[in-house]
Amino acid sequence: MDRSALDAGLLAAHENGDTALLVRLYLKAADGTEDAAASAFYLTHAYVFALEAGLEEVASIRARLVAQGAEPDP
Amino acid sequence: MPDDIRSTYLADVQAPITHARGLPNSHYIDPDTIARENKAVLETTWTALAVGADVPENGDAKPIDFLGQPLLLLRDDQGVVRVFFNICRHRGMILVEAPRKIEGAIRCPYHSWCYAKTGRLVATPHVGGAGQNQHEGIDRATLGLVEVRSHIWMDVVFINLSGGAAPFEEVHCDVLARWREFDKPLYHGGDDSRFTLEVQTNWKLAVENYCESYHLPWVHPGLNSYSRLEDHYHIEAQGRYSGQGSYVYRQLTGEDGQRLPDFEGLSEFWETGAEYITLYPNLLLGVHRDHSFAIILEPVSHTQTREHVHIYYAAPETDPDLRARNAKQWKDVFEEDIFVVEGMMRGRRASGFDGGRFAPAMDGPTHMFHAWVAGRMEALGEDG
Repeated sequence: MDRSALDAGLLAAHENGDTALLVRLYLKAADGTEDAAASAFYLTHAYVFALEAGLEEVASIRARLVAQGAEPDP
Repeated sequence: MPDDIRSTYLADVQAPITHARGLPNSHYIDPDTIARENKAVLETTWTALAVGADVPENGDAKPIDFLGQPLLLLRDDQGVVRVFFNICRHRGMILVEAPRKIEGAIRCPYHSWCYAKTGRLVATPHVGGAGQNQHEGIDRATLGLVEVRSHIWMDVVFINLSGGAAPFEEVHCDVLARWREFDKPLYHGGDDSRFTLEVQTNWKLAVENYCESYHLPWVHPGLNSYSRLEDHYHIEAQGRYSGQGSYVYRQLTGEDGQRLPDFEGLSEFWETGAEYITLYPNLLLGVHRDHSFAIILEPVSHTQTREHVHIYYAAPETDPDLRARNAKQWKDVFEEDIFVVEGMMRGRRASGFDGGRFAPAMDGPTHMFHAWVAGRMEALGEDG
């Protein structure tokens, strides 16, 4: 998925309130960048929507954020 | 109102019933007096807010405005029901706009701070800059949702907004003892056992009407055909609750003789006994061998009251026809009272009304409620 398709997908997922899809797409965005700050930004969004929806991915996303120093270590 | 005049009328209301007067018009139509009264009797006591059945499943959340304050009733994943202020600790944004299920966390729609169903703050996205979710100035442990002190009894959720009231079990120890036999699982009858009445009156007039049986033969002739005035007795617990009891409760019977199941282990008195009390300030309760009900008086404004009626049974499954008949029977009775409480409210606009006199033999429970309000106002004093 190229960047513009990803952006369009994110906009549509936001529009539709499709939280599970938002998590998947923000994870894809995080994986698609080599910039650490950008990665943490996208991971944060994935984390928030996963938290809201109570998805099982919460733990793994949180672990990545903690590893990047973006989220406190519990 | 000057303090000397206020103290005089408050003393008049608390005088013996033979020469007491009721609360004056200002307690029904004057916003300044109402604001003081709200503080004295609704914010500093244990006030009924909702029922546990409003959030029946884990994760259910229901926003409720009470006295203009946005609250959130929330059942967590362990089934614990709590009340919070329905606002984010960040910028005070309303968190939950309508009743819904919280699947994971409550996400503030503004900057997406997230809260667990226990109220704990669990995410502060970008709080330290883009992609940095922590900052030394933000201690999540101290920034959970602000909880409102609450207590649940007979499935009713009580709150103490001021936070300073004595514990519920202490304040209401005598009614807990009086109705100990009903301290057992109650099962809400479901959607056909809940209804809301919108009434153009001050909530206190709904209380005073509920407290006495004097009006039964005139306002509820159908009810009075089997539950006559002389079959009732006063219930008076000064400063806590008052109401009426009946010796002649008669169970509904189906075509095949079926009845609603009894609560287990009730003593002989309850075979035909029933009691109806106002637990001060705003909860109307009724108990019978086979059902109980709770009516939460929501003071929408000082001239408007919403009566939330909930009927409970002794078993999770009950005969739907009997349940429907029971709900209809009570709804008919409560609707018969509407013209009275609305008429008294309109009467409070008459400048010539002095608070009114009480019927000494009949209005004891009503006078007790008025005296309680007056006493709370007096205790509030000049600082209120």
